[in-house]
Amino acid sequence: MNQLNPKKNRIKPLLLTIISSLMASILLIIGINVVKDPATSTIEKKDPVVDQNIWPREVNALNGTVLILDKPQRILTASVGHDELTVALVKLDKLVGVAGITKNQTYSNVADLVQSIPEIDRDPENIVALNPDIVVTSEYFPEESIQRLNDLNIPVIQTGMASSIEEQKDTILLLGRIYGEEQRATQLVAEIAERYDFIQSVIEQQNGSKKKKVLSITRYSDQIWAAGSDSTEGMIIESAGGINTAAESGIKGNMTTSIEGVIEMAPQIIIIAQPRESGGDEFREYLVNSRVTQQIPAVSNNKIYFVETKHFTTLSFWNIRGIEELAKLLWPEDIGDKSFGGFSLP
Amino acid sequence: MLSNITTWDRKTTLRARLLLGVSILSVLLSSAMLVSVSVGPVPISLANVLSVLLSIGPIETTLHTPLESLIVTELRLPRIIVGIFVGIGLSVAGVTMQALFRNPMADPGIIGVSAGGSFGAVIAITLQLDKYLFISVPACAFIGSLLASIIVYSFGHSKGQLSMPALLLAGVAVSAFFSSLISAIVVLEKDTNSVREILFWLAGGLDSRSWEHAITAGPLIILGAILIMFYSRDLNLLNLNDDDAKAMGINVNVTRPFLIILSALLTGMAVAVSGTIIFVGLITPHILRLIVGPDHRILVPLSALTGALFVISADTLARTVIQPAELQVGMVTSFLGAPFFLFLLVKNKNRLHSL
Repeated sequence: MNQLNPKKNRIKPLLLTIISSLMASILLIIGINVVKDPATSTIEKKDPVVDQNIWPREVNALNGTVLILDKPQRILTASVGHDELTVALVKLDKLVGVAGITKNQTYSNVADLVQSIPEIDRDPENIVALNPDIVVTSEYFPEESIQRLNDLNIPVIQTGMASSIEEQKDTILLLGRIYGEEQRATQLVAEIAERYDFIQSVIEQQNGSKKKKVLSITRYSDQIWAAGSDSTEGMIIESAGGINTAAESGIKGNMTTSIEGVIEMAPQIIIIAQPRESGGDEFREYLVNSRVTQQIPAVSNNKIYFVETKHFTTLSFWNIRGIEELAKLLWPEDIGDKSFGGFSLP
Repeated sequence: MLSNITTWDRKTTLRARLLLGVSILSVLLSSAMLVSVSVGPVPISLANVLSVLLSIGPIETTLHTPLESLIVTELRLPRIIVGIFVGIGLSVAGVTMQALFRNPMADPGIIGVSAGGSFGAVIAITLQLDKYLFISVPACAFIGSLLASIIVYSFGHSKGQLSMPALLLAGVAVSAFFSSLISAIVVLEKDTNSVREILFWLAGGLDSRSWEHAITAGPLIILGAILIMFYSRDLNLLNLNDDDAKAMGINVNVTRPFLIILSALLTGMAVAVSGTIIFVGLITPHILRLIVGPDHRILVPLSALTGALFVISADTLARTVIQPAELQVGMVTSFLGAPFFLFLLVKNKNRLHSL
């Protein structure tokens, strides 16, 4: 029958291919859209007034409801953001393991403090060997490892890593509740609010002053990465009173772009959150010396700055330091020589 | 007399088909280049692009601005030219390996040559040799590709005989071996930035390609591709079996290793300037084989042009669909190539079995 209808024979494979491609595209789109929003999926929010001494307590985490039997004395955290948050909430001797990168001065704001604490990986056996009461980690921790640890009666709490300062405050209060350190969490939140509000007051004073277009870029292996909307660097730029020009151009998260893309974005200030020794210097040199980039306002006005990688890439309240650092560049007359230090410790 | 006429007719037909194919593909490639050079985050009109292109030559034009001239000549053109070289390199290496290994699945990526090249390049990046000598990455990529080719060839060749299954299995093993070495480097490397460099490089792409990249890889890729074209007839015979090839006067023990070295050179150079862009070496010859048949005298030159066309079309899409952000060109080659390849497979099931 088909032999009598050659047209049908030609159309069938074509239809099959089109349908397969469409299905693949639909799956891709669904896949992109169902990625969890860490901010909205963060667990139970602020509840600092609960009595610090009431145990056990339940916490609704990303991985479900977790029962914490007693105040944790041996805490293991497995991401640089969680490590920084935990160091700010509990005494160091309660930390039995931290992520390897937390010991790296370039990326971690608490590297000096945690050098003597064991470095962990995601192997459940290595985690068990450290005998933690609780493991606090991000959504990227493997589900299988969580299951293995739960089987060994080690509670694992996954929390989303908030990117806005308000969400970070909620995360701090939440961790305070998990660790039974509500008062300390409230203190830290107040400290953060004070510093953040200072920058916001400076921005509010700029009546009529035009906000500058800021672009945060890095270059690794010839690929230029721009921080758009929903990125940590983007949040810092906006919180410091700048306009994130990558976000305005439609870039979401951290995405690759080209020098031509940078020219089109026309930033007035370029910040490079890439370590100078790891290609940052070469990238800046290229931007300054290339004939093509001279039309970029930030280049022609010599407004290319290195910023501390650890302040701009971490997912913790230490982003406040990034906001302060950038605000000094954006509003030098108002912030002047004011120096900003670290944060208080428990 | 009749035999001479038939031979002459065949040659004429071959030349005519080759000329027709080259003409069509040249027009398509030129059009794709023009489209590619005309689109980008900075809007430049086609007239201004043409004005820039004309001013590269002896014709003085003033339609374009200096910035437009810089964008076209310093950013877009080198990227397109490197894309063309990469396309030529990967597709000619692919068609050559498919003939040498007598297997349609032979591809620089599948038989470990790309993995060897990647390993060489990763070593250069990890040791930061590229900071001292720009040529170090291409050189190491070539050495890695060549090493992989030699290992694969040695294991698949014994007592003067070539075992195709052994060659392919050796290729799979070599690919896995080099890939595991790369993984080990990534895991053991303490410098997070080096790891990033390696991973981004492995992802492949034509981002920020410069004239330096074009000059580094271009001449060797063109030289290698031309040399392989001279061996097109030998490839036809080697594609059948070694005995026939020997009977037709081919020194199999010299020609085959020589062509393997040339394939490694093409792959190494392409990998060095673009990372690992998959599917080009596999899909391009296949598509052409289904259209023009298995004669390598046509297949090799047309593969070169089609590979170039495929890579720059994919790259144009990669840098424009979500501009000013960009996709990896390898993502686009796979996304475009795989469904089309499946379509051709289904459509030409019977013909493919006979190839």
